[in-house]
Order: sequence, then C-alpha cells, then structure tokens
Amino acid sequence: MVQNRSLIDESGKRSDGRIIDELREVKIKVGIIRNADGSALIEFGKNKIISAVYGPREVHPKHMALSDRCVIRCRYHMSPFSTDTRKSPAPSRRETEISKVIREALEPAVMLEDYPRAAIDIFIEVLQADGGSRCAGITAASVALADAGINMRDMVSACAAGKVDDKIVIDINDTEDKEGGADMPVAYMPNLKKITLLQLDGELNPTEFNTCLEEAIRGCLKVYEIQRSSLIEKYFGDEKGLKE
Amino acid sequence: MQEVKRKYVIPGDIVAEGNFKPLGNVFRNGNSIVATRIGITESNKDGTKVIPLSGIYFPRVNDIVIGKILDHSSLSWSVDINSCFSAHLPAQDIFGRDFSPAHDDMGRQLSTGDVIAARIAIFDRTRDPILTIQDKDLGKIPTGELLKISATRVPRLIGKRGSMIQTIEQASSTRVTIGQNGIIVVSGKDKEGINLAINAIHIVEVEAHTSNLTQRIKQLLNVPESNIENDDTQNNHEMNDDKVISNDNGKEIGMVNSDGTK
Amino acid sequence: MSLSKKSTIIVENLRKKQMRESVSAGKRLDERSLDEIRPLEIEIDVIKKASGSAWVKLGKTEVIAGVKVETGEPFEGLENSGAMIITAEVLPIASPHIEPGPPDEETIELARVVDRGVRESEMLDLSKLVLVPGKIVYTIFVDCSIINVDGNLFDATSYAVVSALASCKLPVFEIKDDKVVDTGKTQEPPITTIPVSITTVKIGDYLLMDPNTEEEACMDARLTITTNSKGSIVAMQKGMKGYFTVDEVKGIAEKARIKGEEIRVKLEGLIKLGK
Repeated sequence: MVQNRSLIDESGKRSDGRIIDELREVKIKVGIIRNADGSALIEFGKNKIISAVYGPREVHPKHMALSDRCVIRCRYHMSPFSTDTRKSPAPSRRETEISKVIREALEPAVMLEDYPRAAIDIFIEVLQADGGSRCAGITAASVALADAGINMRDMVSACAAGKVDDKIVIDINDTEDKEGGADMPVAYMPNLKKITLLQLDGELNPTEFNTCLEEAIRGCLKVYEIQRSSLIEKYFGDEKGLKE
Repeated sequence: MQEVKRKYVIPGDIVAEGNFKPLGNVFRNGNSIVATRIGITESNKDGTKVIPLSGIYFPRVNDIVIGKILDHSSLSWSVDINSCFSAHLPAQDIFGRDFSPAHDDMGRQLSTGDVIAARIAIFDRTRDPILTIQDKDLGKIPTGELLKISATRVPRLIGKRGSMIQTIEQASSTRVTIGQNGIIVVSGKDKEGINLAINAIHIVEVEAHTSNLTQRIKQLLNVPESNIENDDTQNNHEMNDDKVISNDNGKEIGMVNSDGTK
Repeated sequence: MSLSKKSTIIVENLRKKQMRESVSAGKRLDERSLDEIRPLEIEIDVIKKASGSAWVKLGKTEVIAGVKVETGEPFEGLENSGAMIITAEVLPIASPHIEPGPPDEETIELARVVDRGVRESEMLDLSKLVLVPGKIVYTIFVDCSIINVDGNLFDATSYAVVSALASCKLPVFEIKDDKVVDTGKTQEPPITTIPVSITTVKIGDYLLMDPNTEEEACMDARLTITTNSKGSIVAMQKGMKGYFTVDEVKGIAEKARIKGEEIRVKLEGLIKLGK
C-alpha cells in the first residue's frame, strides 16, 4: 500500500512515540480464566487479549475424533467493543481466516499424537485491538497451552514487522497497519528456530523483505522472554530455590 | 554420566545434553533432551524427565480414580472421571457374566450423581477407559466431603509410601480417599477434623513443589516432629510421574487407607 | 422452538447431600448465608477504545461490558428517543460447557432480561440523545462478553452494563452541512437512576441469593428482580421449570429491594472512585 502521510516525525518518533526498532510494552498474566485448563491475558501495547485452552477433552460430535492424534479447534473472535468502530457480534470472514492461520501457527508446536481421540480447544478473545492482534493472540495462546500442561515441542512467539515511511520498523500498531507501507506478522518457535506463521500485506523489495523478516524474528525472541518470565512467575515465583 | 542439576523448565527448554534416556514429558532433539511441559526436571541413572506442575488427568491402567455416574446405557454406566475421556463401568462388573437388562436393574445399583471409587482396568489409544469396582475398598462412596485438586499434585499428597496423607489422616481423625484423577473424599466424625484435613490438602496442592512442605503441614496439624518419619530427603519432590513415554509400574501409586494398606 | 434438555452439569449426590445439610443449618457450601452475595469487584474504564466499560467480578463469575456510540435512525414509534441496544455473549473461554456458535435460548434470555432491567428503569434519559427528531439519534450499544461462568450471569451482566453506562463519556455529535460530525468533545451520560438486579433461586424449600454454578445446577426455580433508586420494581423474570408460592415471591421481592439498595450504594461508590 502506498502511504498518504508521513508516520514518522523528524526526530524519528512514530505515531505512538516509539523509535523504529522499539517494541510496544508487553505484559502477560497467566491463569486468568478460572474455569479454563490454561489461560493467559496479554496486553501488547493497547491490544488486550485473553486466550483460554480447554484440553485435552472429549470431541463433540464423537465422529469428528481422529484415531491417532487429537483435533485442534481454534477460534479467534473480537468483542464488539474491541475496535474503533463497533463490530457486529456475528463472525466475520477476517476472523475465520485468522482463526485458521492461528491454528496452523500453533499446531506444529503441539504433540498431537499424545492425545488420540481427544480435542484441544484454543480460544482467543480480543477485548481491545490495536494492530498486531493475531500475533498477540498467538503469543497468549502459546502461554495458555503451556499453562494447561499440554505437551509442546516448543513455545510459539509472534511479532510483526513492517515498512513505514520506507523504513523497516518492528511491531506495527493500528495506525501503521492501516496507513503504512507493509505489515508482516510472523510466528516463530524460538528453540527449534522454525517459522509457523508468515503473512504479508503490502510491498517489500527483496532487501526490505529480508530485513523485515529478521526484525520480526528479533521481536518474536523478545516476546518469548516475556512468555517465559510470566510462566516462571506463576509456577515458581514463590520458591526461593530448588533443593539440590 | 554427568549429574544434571534440577531446574524449572517451560516447554522447549533444554533439560540435558548427552546420552540420557528420555522418560516422561521430554523428547530428544539431536544431542539435547527437551522439556515438553512446565515443571521440574529430574535426572538419575534411569533417565531424564520433567515432573509436570499442570495438566489435566490422563488415564492410566491400574490407576484408582474417583468418578461420578453420569448415565447408563443398557450395558454399562458412563462415568465422569475428570479427564478427557468418559469412562465406562460395564454392568457385568457388578451383576456378573449372566447380566441381563431384563431382570437386572442397573439404576438400583448406581444412579446418576453417585460417586464411586474404581480402578481403570483397560485403557489404550483406541478406546475409552473401562473401569472395575471389584477390588477391595472400591465401589460406591455414600458419604463424605468431596473436593478436587490438580491431578499433578496427587503423588505429593500421598507422599512416600503414603506418609503425607497418613500424617493428615491421623492428625485430623479422618479417612481420606484419593483418586489419581485429583478427586478426593474426606470422611470423619466431626466437622473440625474434616475442615483441618481439607485445609491441609489445599496447602499441599498449592505448595507441592516447594521444600519443607512436610514440616509446614505438620506445624499446621500440630504434629510433633520427632516420632514421624521425615520424608524431606534429597528427593523431596515426591512428584513421581510415570506418564506418557514410559510406564514405570514399579512406582507407588493409588489409594491409601489410614492403616497404610492399599 | 424451545426444548427441554438434559442437564449439562450433574452434581454429585454427595455434594447435594452436603448442600442440603448445610443449607438447612443456614449456611451454604461456600460458607455464605442464604441471602449473602459473593464479593463484588468492579473496575471501570478497562477498554480505553470504548466510550465506557466495566469488568465485573461477582465471586468467580466475570463479565466485561463495553459501550460504543454511533448515530442512526430511531426505533419505530420512538422518534424522539435515542436508541439503546444491549447484547450479551457467553464466550467459549468462560466454561467447559459452552459450544461456540450463535446464541442459544439461555443467552438470548439473559441479554433481553438485562436489557429490560436497564430500559424499563429509564436509567438513560434517551430523550436527551436525539440529533434530528425522527431522523438521526444517538445509538448506544452496550455489548457484554462473559469471560468466566460461576453462576448468576443475570446479576453480573446487569452490574457490568450499569457500571459501564454510568461511568461512560459519550461523544458529542452535531449536524454540520447535513452531515453528522463528531466534535471530539465528550459529555456525561444522562443518568436518572441506578437499576440493580438481584437473583434468587429455590432449592428444595430454601431460597438462596446469588447462586453459583453448583447451586444453579441444583435449583428448581429462579427469580430475577430489578429495582430502581426509588425502590420500585422495574423488571422481573422467573426461570426454570419449578414454582414459587405467592408468599415466597413477596419475600424475595422485599429482600431484592433491600439488597438492591446495598449494591446500589456500592455501585455508585465504585463508579465515583473510578472517575
């Protein structure tokens, strides 16, 4: 998309005051939904998103169960008050597509064969959206899966990078998403070093693309540190040290 | 073989490098053993595993579980065992081989909402768990207070050879029936004793992975230190977990009565 | 079409026995007395992009309500009134028993009962929210997302709607060159009263206020009563297939009025604090 106005001012500040390689503030609280098997609330800039996991649990209807592995169901949904203009409660095509790419971003991490004939349900509820909600949603869902004790080969961390004023920037906000030059959300398994979500909206030449991808992964690794510390805080926060 | 320090891990963390045998909640990736769940690592000569701190109950053959009757078909009761699968108790288990719905009234024996202690007789990847109540101390539980804890904390609640739960039972004059699936029934003569036991159980659940837990529980129950075996040894983390990759049937699992028998 | 269904939640007979014994001695399984409400926590302005919002915790039941304001045509027959639309969705994160999909009859009933309580009390003076009579009015949406279920969604959702509305900052629209323009200013909502909903259920011969999930799974009948600041009843709804006697209804109504006033004071205090 071609930009209409400048989104970075003369002193290098973006529309929300950040510089080009600065992430928004990320906070994660684990175990926020009491009924769920695992859950997390993430605040990623102004994004406020809850992810909850129920599973493994019974598949309904029974005939949808798979004999050798579990079924993953994933729903990304936005509350009507979550966007600038009120969103109708009915599911939109955008939500349907995002539900699919999120499921495909998380499935590679889950050890599906450990739960034959069962289902793992992953729900992502956007309470407030501000650009990058799918990345924040994936990040929260990964924490929720770990909180639920589901076997995973790695965590999944997500962050977007993009192009604004012809510069590659990390972590696109809502204004930059709507008016900027390109937006590339990425989900990454940080230890296995594998990309599980990759989308692009906009135009990037080959050099820009490489830089953008590297920046997005750098963002994923920063997000990973916050996922880790939020889990350690919930599970091991009180313990002063393990006995040897 | 190098000793591996115990540590806290989240999924994806490397537990150890080298020739360790992957036991529970880990997998091998090249030269590394990697954790698949949040928990505490444990390594010894048998191999390396992660003792999980969260996760719902996943059925295992021979586990004693406490379940709730949901319904019955003409041949079996369906039982909620607080897991990802419904379990089934065949009518034949109670009525015998020549059971017939025509003359044997299933509803009379067990009705919706009844609580039972049962053993998982059959379970594999192809079907739902099948229960039996034919062993000693199994069957309908008519009275008591019911509570739920995370299944991952049950080994710590039972303790080494039942020591933790016995301490609680003796100090509160209660009888505690524990299912591996995290459902517990506490029965006793007076309310105060029952509440004391329930309190102690909740503390064990929350602090299962911490050190000196036995001491704190004894303090809560006003139990003198000297005469009861102290199980706060090096292997304090009694969360023996035999799940998933290999099934160590030698470990102590299952229900414990107040006289220490199973 | 409405069908009677098998209960999704089966309470253990042991627990039912415990509950009966406990309740006949005046205490519930969570230690509350029969007409005691669980701890109520309300945080307002949690969704900054909304004109108003509230996160309510009634015991472990949690509901988030958000207010969004647009302009549009008035409802038919109400040409000189702003429009208000209240919706509710029980999100699948809220409970293991929810299937994602279009709202079921219980969720629709919930949204409509909460709506009636607020609308019939005339909490918002909708006559003050008109731009061009008969043509363009303010449309106030209050959407509720229930994020954790532990009984009594009626009251929790109602408190969320009331808190979000009472604390919101409405945009100020005006007509310029035949177009609706957002002036960028905000105004206080025209609040006339604070409606408070109180739900009571009947288990056996006992009446329990503010039921949790387990108590709802054992209930025979339910009565939700909404009162306004003057203590008048503005909305009622009886639910489930059991029954109440006339005396029971009168008793419940009186208790709902008294408890309603207690909650009203608390709501007003929390909303003032948040501002």
